[in-house]
Amino acid sequence: MSNAIYATLARQHGLMQEMQVVSNNLANSSTTGYKTDRAIFAEFLVGSDSGNTSLSMGSLAGHAFEMEQGGLKVTGGQFDVAVQGDGFFSIETPQGPRLTRAGHFQLSADGTLVDMIGNSVLGAGGGPIQIPVEASQISISADGTISADGELIEQIGVVIPDGELMRDSNTYFSAPGGFGNATDFNVVQGALEQSNVSPVLEVARMIEVQRAYEAGQTLLEREDQRIGQVISTIRER
Amino acid sequence: MKSLQIAATGMAAQQLRVDVISNNIANMSTAAYRPRVAEFSDLMYQQYLTPGTITSQVGTVVPAGIQIGTGVRPSTVSMEITQGALRETGSELDLAIDGAGFFEVTLPSGESAYTRDGKFNRSVDGEMVTMDGYPLADGITIPADARAISVSRDGEVVAYFNDQAAGQAIGALQLVRFVNEKGLEALGDNLFRETAASGTPAQVVAGTEGSGFIRQGFLEQSGVDVVKEISDLIEAQRGYELNSKVITASDEMLAATTRLR
Repeated sequence: MSNAIYATLARQHGLMQEMQVVSNNLANSSTTGYKTDRAIFAEFLVGSDSGNTSLSMGSLAGHAFEMEQGGLKVTGGQFDVAVQGDGFFSIETPQGPRLTRAGHFQLSADGTLVDMIGNSVLGAGGGPIQIPVEASQISISADGTISADGELIEQIGVVIPDGELMRDSNTYFSAPGGFGNATDFNVVQGALEQSNVSPVLEVARMIEVQRAYEAGQTLLEREDQRIGQVISTIRER
Repeated sequence: MKSLQIAATGMAAQQLRVDVISNNIANMSTAAYRPRVAEFSDLMYQQYLTPGTITSQVGTVVPAGIQIGTGVRPSTVSMEITQGALRETGSELDLAIDGAGFFEVTLPSGESAYTRDGKFNRSVDGEMVTMDGYPLADGITIPADARAISVSRDGEVVAYFNDQAAGQAIGALQLVRFVNEKGLEALGDNLFRETAASGTPAQVVAGTEGSGFIRQGFLEQSGVDVVKEISDLIEAQRGYELNSKVITASDEMLAATTRLR
């Protein structure tokens, strides 16, 4: 078969995957604490039939998060917190600790600070945070210190991962390399960090992907016609 | 083609958001209504190439890998715990809670329900009942010949009569607190029911243990901030449109594919 077809096919497959990344970003444009995904393509070389030159193909090689700060949306919620700067809240899940930027917390029936799906939020000491039931005024300071009616309770743990992050569902990230305490951050009470997806960029990327895909299909069509012509020319001789 | 389904999850999420916003706006004049907020989280990721996969004998690893998301899902529609503005009505049986807490009422089934809507009336037997006729759990009966009723900040109910100078205490209203008010189940009619998530109800005297004071002659208004709701509505509508554009684009890519043959 023709190398041109293989190279285009690799590109088309990659574009389909990039379209998925773009659509996932747009679907999560209202997800608290969501970080934009980027697909990264890399070239790989394959030896061509003729031997001396090799053919370059593109494939999806990795992905990157854009970790830039999402906008803070003021909600006024007592247990709505956002991290400004570098750092994640740490959550105890049945699968182990997870990191998240989505700070839509609430209390469980026994007064433990939990996230939206009921997993406990970890304090700076690594344990769950208990809020006294009778407390009426909870304040959370910029360094994450929680106080109830002027009495110190605990500090919300804000951590940074050592090494790379992996995505998990529920806007969780897992840090296979472990994590340590963050230093360069501010905790904002009464606000939630919005998704950092930029609709303009995503739509531009989407159009680019779509057009590139159509261009690829046209190339495949032309290549098909060309081979057809070659075959018919040879037959006529 | 997964981007079609992914965009569909996005449209469904924005649709839900519009539903929640429309319910908030519809309840902008409902006494003691607390606005709801839809929160979303991302769905699981497909692992094409796991980060940390070893790529050579010397131990180099894939730094970021390839994970492709599969869309969005609503994770919670939670109640915003806000204090609505107090509107003076002058009616002696209109009570508002200034702070945390709920009034406890007894449903016809005998079950307890909780409300912050303090618009009470007298039943034919003189009992203090809600707009729907459910009696207060504290069982306060107002004597038929009472001239006036006063409810103190901590819930003491006193009746005054024409032939007596001093008032007569006829009962006390207690407030109920929950550890997690967001965990309450809304029953409609401004009523809530306890759930496993809310914690057990704790009866407290108004103004103690973190609960608010009772204010007679006031009603708590809806906590809906219309400006915020409208700006959220615009955002949700545009989000919906963006996701529908993804569907169009994916469809055109599929059309290009089928044109090949």
